[in-house]
Amino acid sequence: MAIVEVKNLSKTFDAAGGTTTALNHINLSIEEGDVFGIIGMSGAGKSTLVRCLNLLEVPTEGQVIVEGKDLTALTNKELREERGRIAMIFQSFNLLQQKNVISNVCVPMMIQGKKKSEAKKRAKELLELVCLQDKARSYPSQLSGGQCQRVAIARALASDPKILLCDEATSALDPQTTNQILDLLKEINQKLKITIIIITHQMSVVQKICNRVAIIDHGEIAEMGEVEEIFTHPKSQAGRVLVIDGTQEVGTSDRQKAVELLKEKKRIRIVFSKNSSYEPVIANMVLAVGKPVNILKADTQDVGGVARGQMILGLPDDADAQEKMIAYLKDHNLAVEEVQA
Amino acid sequence: MREEIVTMLLQGIGETLYMSVFATLFGYVIGLPWGVALCITGKNGIKRNSGIYFVLDVIANIMRSIPFLILMIMVIPLTIAIVGQSYGSTATIVPLVISAAPMIARMVESSLVEVDAGEIEAVQSMGAGTGWIILHVLLGEGRVSLIAGATISFATILGYSAMAGTLGGGGLGDIAIRYGYHRYDTQIMIITVVLLVVLVQIFQGLGTWVGKKSDKR
Ligand SMILES: Nc1ncnc2c1ncn2[C@@H]1O[C@H](COP(=O)(O)OP(=O)(O)O)[C@@H](O)[C@H]1O
Ligand SMILES: [Mg+2]
Repeated sequence: MAIVEVKNLSKTFDAAGGTTTALNHINLSIEEGDVFGIIGMSGAGKSTLVRCLNLLEVPTEGQVIVEGKDLTALTNKELREERGRIAMIFQSFNLLQQKNVISNVCVPMMIQGKKKSEAKKRAKELLELVCLQDKARSYPSQLSGGQCQRVAIARALASDPKILLCDEATSALDPQTTNQILDLLKEINQKLKITIIIITHQMSVVQKICNRVAIIDHGEIAEMGEVEEIFTHPKSQAGRVLVIDGTQEVGTSDRQKAVELLKEKKRIRIVFSKNSSYEPVIANMVLAVGKPVNILKADTQDVGGVARGQMILGLPDDADAQEKMIAYLKDHNLAVEEVQA
Repeated sequence: MREEIVTMLLQGIGETLYMSVFATLFGYVIGLPWGVALCITGKNGIKRNSGIYFVLDVIANIMRSIPFLILMIMVIPLTIAIVGQSYGSTATIVPLVISAAPMIARMVESSLVEVDAGEIEAVQSMGAGTGWIILHVLLGEGRVSLIAGATISFATILGYSAMAGTLGGGGLGDIAIRYGYHRYDTQIMIITVVLLVVLVQIFQGLGTWVGKKSDKR
């Protein structure tokens, strides 16, 4: 059974200027042990969706079923108890500024009414897990962003949750720190068997740690599936834009750029995935065919000595050369697709 | 200076402090919950309730717009009912509290609405109830601003207590009126004013120091 099930969820906001439909009949099913990504552009409704998962935002319509319990049907008290099993971390960390690190980690246990000595003991263990045992007496203002997020993660784990919600948890961090935090989340997912739901606008985050992903656009799920599959063959317009411009923040201007990139002539997008080979494939292809290509965008990472990621190539006008190149790439186990706007 | 005058001034300081400290204390007994209620029922509060907010807001506004001296006269029956007499330091505490409470409520409200909404949301996501949030997040995180507010409140109440002296309230204000106004003894009047200034300075400095000490940001 799915650990989180979202059924027909809608949320509208009434404001002076009219109503906004932030979420429009969302259906989702997240399995236990998943690292589930929810990706979309700014304003797509990601935060609203994740806040509906622990009912910080009350849905206008629909159900949120966590571990078989319909959260929308619980009493206030039952809901507060259930929230102990659904932890959350935030873009701006949201640590209590006037409490030191260890007291912050104790907060969920204090709320649950645990004994102080027990809470302190558990908090120390958690700080070790996030490698911050030497900062127990520091205050959040004395820590870096990455350290603050580690404290927030330790705090989130303090209530022994089954699910961890992350709302843009790495968006305020530099790339290196982002990677460290993502590694930590992955470790938590695997060692502690905690299901993780990650909200982000960065495809690179999804690629790095998620196994499944839903793309949300204008309050609706544009597509959903295995990360590998969606990254290789995005079907929706929103999916294509996010995948092709994946490493950057995708605002409207970036969206425009991505569309521009796809105009003109013959362009192909190739995806380096698990089974790609070790050789410098583009260089060899050019040598084999004897015609140059234009690398319009390259976004690859070295994963264990193999390139992973994507490239967009502008091919020569010669149709024969185009065909040969595509055949060559396919021969080398690369996913190739033509791209157009 | 004659010994009896020194004694009188010392007694004046004692009475002024007695009135101000107790009026501030009781003022907070009423004003703190009032301010908390204003904060949580307000527009972005955790227990939004426009009806309750409206009532608390209007009462605070009305009470704050009555000049202190007039309020003092208006509440004389209440003062007599509580204290048994309408003059003297203890009796003055009653109108001081009534006039300080709504001011303190506003002070508390403005401190608490500044507490980061993200921090509140974080503890809500952990299952914290209203009581926990008030105690540990609103009051805990708003601490520094609350202390600053308390310092301002105390200084204001000290000023009011001096004003109460004109109606037989005791304390330094009483001395200033009696000597400076009725007997044209400018010297004593100036001394009492200087003493009032020094008192305010001491408490302002103390408040600022405590506030700084307790700020971990
Ligand atoms: N409290 C709110 N009141 C009114 N509108 C809101 C509120 N929260 C979100 N919205 C609107 O809902 C839409 C989705 O917002 P959000 O979920 O924050 O998007 P994202 O996190 O994907 O950037 C936006 O159009 C936003 O303006
Ligand atoms: Mg958001």
